[in-house]
Amino acid sequence: MAPRRNTGIKEFYAQKKNTPPVKSKDRTPATKRQIDTVPAAYDDARPSTGTLGSDSAQPAALIAKGRRDYNDDIDNMEEVLRQFDMNMKYGPCIGVPRLERWERASKLGLDPPQQVKVFLERAGGISDCLWEGRV
Amino acid sequence: MQAMEVDTDSHHLERKQADYKGQDERYLLRMQRYRGQQYSHLYYFRLHKFREILNTLIQKRWPNLPSCTILGLEDGKECIIVGTVYKQMQLKPSVLDEYSKERSVTPIAQPHNFMHPDDYLILEDDSGRVKLTGNVLSPSMYVTGVVAALHGKEGSDGDFYVQSILEAGLPPQHPLHSGYSLKDNKYIVLVSGLMVGSMKSNPLQFQLLVDYVTGHSGDEQEQSMAAQIVRVIIAGDSVDMQQSLLAGQSLGLKEQRRLAEPIKELDLALTQLAAAMPVDIMPGPNDPANFSLPQQPLHKCLFSGASAYNTFVSATNPHQFDLDGVCFLGTSGQNIDDLGKYSDAKEKLDYMERTLKWRHLAPTAPDTLGCYPFTDRDPFVIEDCPHVYFCGNQKKYASRLLEGSEGQVVRLVCIPSFCETGSAVVVNIRNLECHLLTLSTSSLVG
Repeated sequence: MAPRRNTGIKEFYAQKKNTPPVKSKDRTPATKRQIDTVPAAYDDARPSTGTLGSDSAQPAALIAKGRRDYNDDIDNMEEVLRQFDMNMKYGPCIGVPRLERWERASKLGLDPPQQVKVFLERAGGISDCLWEGRV
Repeated sequence: MQAMEVDTDSHHLERKQADYKGQDERYLLRMQRYRGQQYSHLYYFRLHKFREILNTLIQKRWPNLPSCTILGLEDGKECIIVGTVYKQMQLKPSVLDEYSKERSVTPIAQPHNFMHPDDYLILEDDSGRVKLTGNVLSPSMYVTGVVAALHGKEGSDGDFYVQSILEAGLPPQHPLHSGYSLKDNKYIVLVSGLMVGSMKSNPLQFQLLVDYVTGHSGDEQEQSMAAQIVRVIIAGDSVDMQQSLLAGQSLGLKEQRRLAEPIKELDLALTQLAAAMPVDIMPGPNDPANFSLPQQPLHKCLFSGASAYNTFVSATNPHQFDLDGVCFLGTSGQNIDDLGKYSDAKEKLDYMERTLKWRHLAPTAPDTLGCYPFTDRDPFVIEDCPHVYFCGNQKKYASRLLEGSEGQVVRLVCIPSFCETGSAVVVNIRNLECHLLTLSTSSLVG
């Protein structure tokens, strides 16, 4: 006979979740919202961006409503692409793939940075803009 | 194409011909895939395009004044701003009214014109927006979507006091008949609002028109006049589909046949027409084509008889083409009718003149006029000034010769609805004169 487990209230609350911690490699907003339970405003332990000792390279502009991007895979390439997205000179970024927006800017004579095109075509930059799927 | 031989004499009457170049590529959607984009790209492109045009004009007119962005406006400093006009209208129907106002059993009477004395204008560019004040700009003349340059200064209350306005003006025009020398009169017939299949249309009247134009009716003098007609343009609303049948349930065979009858009737007439001379047909607000501008050409399967002829051209709405060096541009009327709902003018020709001066066919698209959300262009920007600018499905015929500041000459034509007036417009492409062609059956009815 198997040992009888205590099924009191304490034991119920002592149960631990047995799902492994989610390592989000993918960028879907759904998984992000699951992890992000602590609003960044309360997060005093981490120094804010740009100060000495901060480990986050994420610029303040991208922390909308206190959500932090826990995925530290935002490398230099994605950073450059995001700055391209946010630049008002080339028009709205939502609704068009980044490369198409670059081509449009180039056709209009706005001289967009060549590096962005290289990232999108060869280095495997993400083709959807920053807000794709989030808005 | 040779006309029919006259019975008594043996000499032929040859129909004149003119070189036709269709220029509808910019209005065709082709393989565009809708990816869920919104209209911001269209407005961005429009602002960018007009900013380029206006910057050169600003340099000429106000060479000493600085240009600035709207967010960069300083109190009291005289400067120039360029942006898109937005008209705040309280009577403009909004989908949000469903939630804010109580639902009444009967809808409040729909005004045909949504203007109100309290409407005001706002100028918006990619940095911000500012309310416009002053007597120079009359809100009743402008609509949302016009791009203009304004000269003035910001007041202490944050509003921009306008001192003068610079619109893009008429675009440059190619010289008339460039490359062709026209000695004889050649005519083009513009007709719209045939509404085949509706209670209002008179089939005999339409048949009379077809017979006259193809040269089947009239004596030798009439036939020789008809032989000078080189093309017919049908500017929209050619059929009246019985909407009551499309109540949502699936149609039985009998209903399907009844629905297709007006199209078949139109096809018969078009076959006669296409056998005799070149015909262009444009879709209109009531035709079986897509709703939003630019309307795509009516499908060839609707015209099984007429589309067999190479003289039959199914065109887009708006339609642009070149005939013997004369540039034509026109719509089936949706753009002008929409302007009539949101602004004020004495005549429809005034609206047409304004669209030319604003260099934009349909400034209210996409705000109040359905439009495809282009991401890479705004096809309604008028690049070259046409020689003949027409607008279909109007209540009555009107025409004016407009002269631009740089020698442009445009014939503006409002084509009356054929089912109501029995009239078509005939334009002489040699000298841009036009007159009305009316067919009446009243003396025949006993």
